[in-house]
Amino acid sequence: MDETRFNTPGEQRKIDSIAADILKNVRINRSFILWMGFLSTVLVLCLAAYVIQLREGLGVTGMRDFTSWGMYIANFVFFVATSLVGMLISSVLGLIGYQWVKPISRIAEIIAIAFAAVAGLVIISDMGRPDRLPYVFMYGRVQSPILWDVTVVTTYFVLSLLLWFFPMVPDLAISKSRLEGRPAFLVKAYDILSFRWEHHEVQYRIMKQAIRILLILIIPTAFAIHTVTSWLFAVTPRTGWDSTIFGPYFISGAFVSGTAALIIAIYFFRVNYKLQKYLTDDTFDKIARVLVLVSIVYFYFNLNEFLVPGYKLKTGDAIHLRELFTGHYAPLFWTIQLGGLIIPVILLLFKKMRRPLPMLIISLFVLCGAWLKRYIIVVPPQAHPNLPIQNVPVEWVIYKPTLIEIAVTVASIILVLIIITILSKLFPVIPIWEMAEEENEKDKPFDKQ
Amino acid sequence: MKYTVPVIMCLLLLPSLSKGQDWVVPEERKGRLSTFPFTEETRKEGERLYNINCLSCHGTPGKNNSIALVPPPGDPATEKIQRNSDGEIFHKVTVGRGQMPSFRSVMSAEEIWKTVSYIRSFNRDYVQRVMQIITSSAYPGAQISLSMAYLEAERQVIVRAMATDEEKSVPVTNAGVRLFASRYFGALAVDEEKLTDKNGVAAFVIPAGLPGDTAGNVSISARFTDEEVFGSVTRDTVIQAGLKNRAGSLVAQRAMWNSVRKAPLWVILSYGIGVLAVWGFILLVMLKLRDIYTVGSALRGNLRPASDQEPTNKQEAI
Repeated sequence: MDETRFNTPGEQRKIDSIAADILKNVRINRSFILWMGFLSTVLVLCLAAYVIQLREGLGVTGMRDFTSWGMYIANFVFFVATSLVGMLISSVLGLIGYQWVKPISRIAEIIAIAFAAVAGLVIISDMGRPDRLPYVFMYGRVQSPILWDVTVVTTYFVLSLLLWFFPMVPDLAISKSRLEGRPAFLVKAYDILSFRWEHHEVQYRIMKQAIRILLILIIPTAFAIHTVTSWLFAVTPRTGWDSTIFGPYFISGAFVSGTAALIIAIYFFRVNYKLQKYLTDDTFDKIARVLVLVSIVYFYFNLNEFLVPGYKLKTGDAIHLRELFTGHYAPLFWTIQLGGLIIPVILLLFKKMRRPLPMLIISLFVLCGAWLKRYIIVVPPQAHPNLPIQNVPVEWVIYKPTLIEIAVTVASIILVLIIITILSKLFPVIPIWEMAEEENEKDKPFDKQ
Repeated sequence: MKYTVPVIMCLLLLPSLSKGQDWVVPEERKGRLSTFPFTEETRKEGERLYNINCLSCHGTPGKNNSIALVPPPGDPATEKIQRNSDGEIFHKVTVGRGQMPSFRSVMSAEEIWKTVSYIRSFNRDYVQRVMQIITSSAYPGAQISLSMAYLEAERQVIVRAMATDEEKSVPVTNAGVRLFASRYFGALAVDEEKLTDKNGVAAFVIPAGLPGDTAGNVSISARFTDEEVFGSVTRDTVIQAGLKNRAGSLVAQRAMWNSVRKAPLWVILSYGIGVLAVWGFILLVMLKLRDIYTVGSALRGNLRPASDQEPTNKQEAI
């Protein structure tokens, strides 16, 4: 028996048709250039704001002695959270054996790569002296959660990159002969990156071994990355951060925002890349159920996070919770909890809502809510100093992000979009060989009959 | 009840409004003068004291970088502060007001005058007027001195005040004297205020639990309560009357708060093993790319589809 896959004419035809569907989007066309041009222009404008910050110092932001972590850190937490979806889809659901995650796992990895990569940059934007970044590595203290964070974010980024790349090697081999009319550098890159892939069983075995190691390895790493991010807050005795459930609270929240981001992405690829055949209504229905599940878990942690201190009402907690429930932050807080968590869960319980377009709208709400939730977690607890202090300037007490901060934050979101665009425009977004394999599996019973 | 919060807020604001008024120094204190002339040496010592006690709020004189408080502390080099008389500055530092603490027990009168000396060094037009005679209103023309002795058995410090002029030396009687032990920040009053007896002697009991340095030494200092009457004489000495401080250095042992070289072993091990394990696997996975490449090269070297023999051998090689 021959040990090379996809070598019968029937299988070749399948590959041809799937590759044609997916590779038609791998091209540098007008819309790609226009879109990248738009992103680059906005990025340059926003980076001008960063240059001002670099020249003038962090005083151009709204951060002062009380609120010394503002929009940048909230954005960082959101980015780390959203990147966790790569692990949820590929590892947790993939290892359980769900087949429906196959067409979306690569998109999930692209989201993970983009958000994890930019998360590191966001931290640098929060530094008054970014030129001192090497000091983290030269003088970093192994006891500091900040060093742990740097370590796990880097590790998670590399693992996500590998989990994106490894299952793509067969696709690159399939695609390299089907790239007529594409730039020569792209064809050359496909050839090099396919590592002499011949679809041989031995190669498949090696690849699957590697992927299995990565899938298992990325679970503790992903848990570590967001647990450590939560520890940046939870290891301080500050009211609002001093919580023992911050780790799981953050992780469950991460699954919510990541799943919402993934739904938005697959809706986009389904419509713009015309991939309705692969990103089916059924895929959306399944991932909607995932979103409901993780949202309910997140709701449970929210209940713990607010009800337990709310019952005891220790002095600091009482001030903090009153600010959130009925005070300055109440409109934002209830908008997030209702519009970004409770109402989406209720809506998604109805089958009519678990279709692509309604899910896109719901996910946009969930994602915006997730971003604002990080802001609510980071900013309000700092507005109340631990020591009673009087007669300080008003801008110390009330944090308001400045235009510069907003511009730099927009720049980071633009960077994420640029990475997603490049990865999804230069490489196939859906695993061709896995789709072909799946069709083979479907055909087998009929062959026997 | 509806207006409780606004009313309380207004009440709380009242004192801060009244504080917005000018800081009036009592008339009799305005003209007070330093007992010694300001020299380069007093300026230097004053700068040291300023940096410890004043810099954090008032900033570097002349740089106008005082901390942003309401009301602003102000830069001592500015006209606003320089137009105060020596006595006014001395009084304000001594007494404090609002957010500015009183430095009465932090610095001695001499130290406050040295600080004034430093502040005045930023004023080119300043001409010092020195109090001519080191004197007191109670013993006109006499120089008052304090002497101290420590009686170890009784744990008592005996302070003796004498007024000396050209002809004779007499005990200073019925003068309030206080004894201080120096601590990390400021001075700690030891025992109560005592009045000197007919021999000019006041006895202070050192409490048994008073912490000293590692050798049990305590720096103590005696001064008159009413410096206006008896002069700003102080007497400092070191006595071995405190408990020996046996607390080891906080950074001697491995601890979470220590430098990386003295990190707890469990942290180093958990971090190190975790990172090595994960990156070891990452390296392993990377090497599998090489294996895929090797297999592919071998297959290309043969006629395709590959013979059964070749991949089996390859498989073993892997």
